Amino acid sequence: MFYIRIAFVILFLLNLKTMSQNKSKIFPYKVNEFTLSNGLKVISIPYDSKGIVAYYTVVRTGSRNEVEDGKSGFAHFFEHMMFRGTEKYSTKAYNEIVKKLGSDANAFTTDDWTCYHLVASSSALETIMDIESDRFQNLKYSVEGFKTESGAILGEYNKSYSNPIMTMFEKMQEAAFTTHTYKHTTMGFLKDIQDMPNQYEYSLQFFDRYYRPENCIVVVVGDFDQSKLELLANKYYGNWMRGNFNVEIPNEPQQTEPKFVDMKWNSKTLPMLMIGFHSPAFSDSEIDMPTMDLISQLYFSENSKLFQKLVIEEQLVEFVEGSGSDNRDPSMFIVLTRVKDKSNIEKVKEEISKTIEEIKTNPVSKEELEKVKSHLKYSFAMRMNTPDAIANTLSHYLQLTGNYESLNRVYELYEKITADDIIRIAQKYLTLNNSTTLTLTEEETK
Amino acid sequence: MTFITNSNSYELVIKKSESPIISFRIQFKIGSINDWKKQEGINALTASLIAQGGTKFLTYNEVVEKLYPWAGEIYFIADKELTTFIGSVHKDNLEGFYKIFSDLILNPRFDEEDFARVKDENLNFFENNLRSINDEDLGKQVLQTMIYKNHPYEKHHFGTVEGIKSIILDDVKKYYNENYTQENLVIGITGNISKEIINEIDSDFKKISLGKFQKTLLPKTEEIQDMEITIVEKSARATAISIGFPISVTRSDKDFYALMVANSYFGEHRTFNGVLMNKIRGDRGINYGDYSYIENFIQDGGTRFFIPNVARRQQFFSIWIRPTKPEDAHFSLRLAMKELKSLCESGISKEEFENARDFVINYSKLWAQTQSRSLGFELDSKFYKADYFIDKIEEELKQLSVDDVNSAIRKYLQYQNVKVAIICQNANELKEKILTNATSQIKYSTTVDESILREDESIINYSLNINKNKLNVLQVNQLFKK
Repeated sequence: MFYIRIAFVILFLLNLKTMSQNKSKIFPYKVNEFTLSNGLKVISIPYDSKGIVAYYTVVRTGSRNEVEDGKSGFAHFFEHMMFRGTEKYSTKAYNEIVKKLGSDANAFTTDDWTCYHLVASSSALETIMDIESDRFQNLKYSVEGFKTESGAILGEYNKSYSNPIMTMFEKMQEAAFTTHTYKHTTMGFLKDIQDMPNQYEYSLQFFDRYYRPENCIVVVVGDFDQSKLELLANKYYGNWMRGNFNVEIPNEPQQTEPKFVDMKWNSKTLPMLMIGFHSPAFSDSEIDMPTMDLISQLYFSENSKLFQKLVIEEQLVEFVEGSGSDNRDPSMFIVLTRVKDKSNIEKVKEEISKTIEEIKTNPVSKEELEKVKSHLKYSFAMRMNTPDAIANTLSHYLQLTGNYESLNRVYELYEKITADDIIRIAQKYLTLNNSTTLTLTEEETK
Repeated sequence: MTFITNSNSYELVIKKSESPIISFRIQFKIGSINDWKKQEGINALTASLIAQGGTKFLTYNEVVEKLYPWAGEIYFIADKELTTFIGSVHKDNLEGFYKIFSDLILNPRFDEEDFARVKDENLNFFENNLRSINDEDLGKQVLQTMIYKNHPYEKHHFGTVEGIKSIILDDVKKYYNENYTQENLVIGITGNISKEIINEIDSDFKKISLGKFQKTLLPKTEEIQDMEITIVEKSARATAISIGFPISVTRSDKDFYALMVANSYFGEHRTFNGVLMNKIRGDRGINYGDYSYIENFIQDGGTRFFIPNVARRQQFFSIWIRPTKPEDAHFSLRLAMKELKSLCESGISKEEFENARDFVINYSKLWAQTQSRSLGFELDSKFYKADYFIDKIEEELKQLSVDDVNSAIRKYLQYQNVKVAIICQNANELKEKILTNATSQIKYSTTVDESILREDESIINYSLNINKNKLNVLQVNQLFKK
């Protein structure tokens, strides 16, 4: 009987592979991967965490998927609705179980993905897989529950957007993008959030489209038994039905002229300057985005000449930073600074422009480049200190490409980037016509 | 394995592990309670200048440049009673990192330009940050200034605007010389560390002056009469509310652990476990979250856990109602107070007790997942003269009964005399509603359960026992001035 069961499981698991530990790769842990016949991928990493396990469910859907007018914010809304229960486990029952386990359970949504994560005792693994698989397959909520939760979403918007930086990011996306869904933030346009109570039917459609096994990846890190995990994955997720929805995300046309936006803030604030450039999508084979990461470190980190000049020596700004984000589609590289005195805004802008010109013309020394590569390597090593941190990092790359090897490949690309590459990529993306400049100042009292 | 030694004037805590990441927590038993009168903020400013300045051998720019390839991290926490410098680095780079980290503390540069930059930053924290962009934190800080009126804890741990303005670099040097002494020092180290490095640390830190540890006496907090409210008026799209009162219990006391269970049942931070969260957000969708606390609680970054090393000898109970629509604020305040009353009067059932206790036992094990946090809890336990906090929780909670918890609720929690801080746009409008005990009818965007509507009937006119003489409206720029 035992052998029959094993054989059955093996038939069910496609693409079973195990990567042995490879010290030359940045990711130092052994990774197991198997895929159920319905397309659900399960990635697992044994880690000495003394009875603790991190359990992540990656849904490769974020606000990027919100293509219909008036329907922005739904990926994030679903992050909330997923806690609204099923027939088997009502919200109360789900919460009681999570409470009993003493787990740290939460979720978050970004432009490209939604993540449901728990950290709990390893002995709770089967219970976790039971409740998580159940809500991903059988979520059921009433119109009333849906409308009530929309109030919490508005509450979240209100608490977040009392911060001018959040509002600047919202405005940046709206101004820089004309066509692509990155035009709205993950929370969605405010008018759409306010209209959410009327969108119950659409919410059901959204769930039906995206909460499907081929669009999800389960990541387990910590102290667990691999063979048991495989059996449980099959038991709890094996009957989950594949979907068939394909979303078409509109391409953003090339920006052809610079954009400028002046914003007023009706509360006390220092002036802020945000300059955004359309930047490349994440790739683990092309060097464009990894090069932008190096540019961020070389020219806009605390160790950069710009930071040293503006923050430490001349003390014109409180901080200055610049970075891009790993996104599935071309996104933004953002330079942000808080200026101490309104009269210095133009001067600060000029210094940032000079830095950008320098990136495009002066090759960086080999020594500086090596320092950045060392920084990236050690930053990574220092982050990998809990099952949760490991699961989080790996999930980030899995949502981008579906392949955990992307993490190793990106770090391999960092190693290959040269001073000439930096000049070439900067010339391609950090141009005036590709930029949007936002200036935020305090509204003057009448 | 943890070793604690007291062979010198300072205390040394070593948590040895196989981890390649080495973490330090260098703690001084000084905080904003040691701030000089009219120079409030000198403790935090001194710590800021140490952590964000240079050493006698390196400028700040050079420090940043040296640390950069190692991705070495240095930051500090300055609270009311403790100031802690935290450093982490990979063992490959330990030697160079330790030299800089120890020099920042033992041989600070105290450069005029660094001083100007850091002072500016701390001033901006009040003038352009706390007063402006974070209404939730603002509410919590205003509540603490109210609870600790005329008490050493009253001032914000970063001081006051006028206090900071009056500080010059020589004051910082003087404060440093008086307070950064062996008697005030606790050193914590964790990771795969050698005996040699421990000896080096011992030899280096033994060089600082012995000093004399002077414990600041803490008086009793002022009595609260009924509900005392401060409404802070500022531009705000939503209304933030914090409620609280002092409690005479800390991690040193057995009852603290009983109260942990009660608090988890009532308002566990950022979970759906608590009554407050379920009633205000879950049932009614009024806001994003509602929680309660039995000690000073600062969330650790993006996690839901709290930071260690903000231990205090006196603590307070608080409720945090995250921003609501302005029209729902009065109702939310009433609902929270009614629930607090119910907790105080009825306690919790055996089943509720068991669920909350089991949760806390399991959940608390997740609080010390990184060795740096675990080291932080070790230092906290020394402060409270108690066993290692995470182990202590399990030990105490396993012995508890529902009667112990209900007895702790009766002993420490109450609903009659509380302070409330509210941050909102139209302060006088809300003040009027509260003063007149106006009905706070709530409008739902959907049909809600009949039981909720019935419950609302008992909330909309719920009397808040307002102290009319202590219902004040302040403009935001009046806060943290002096």
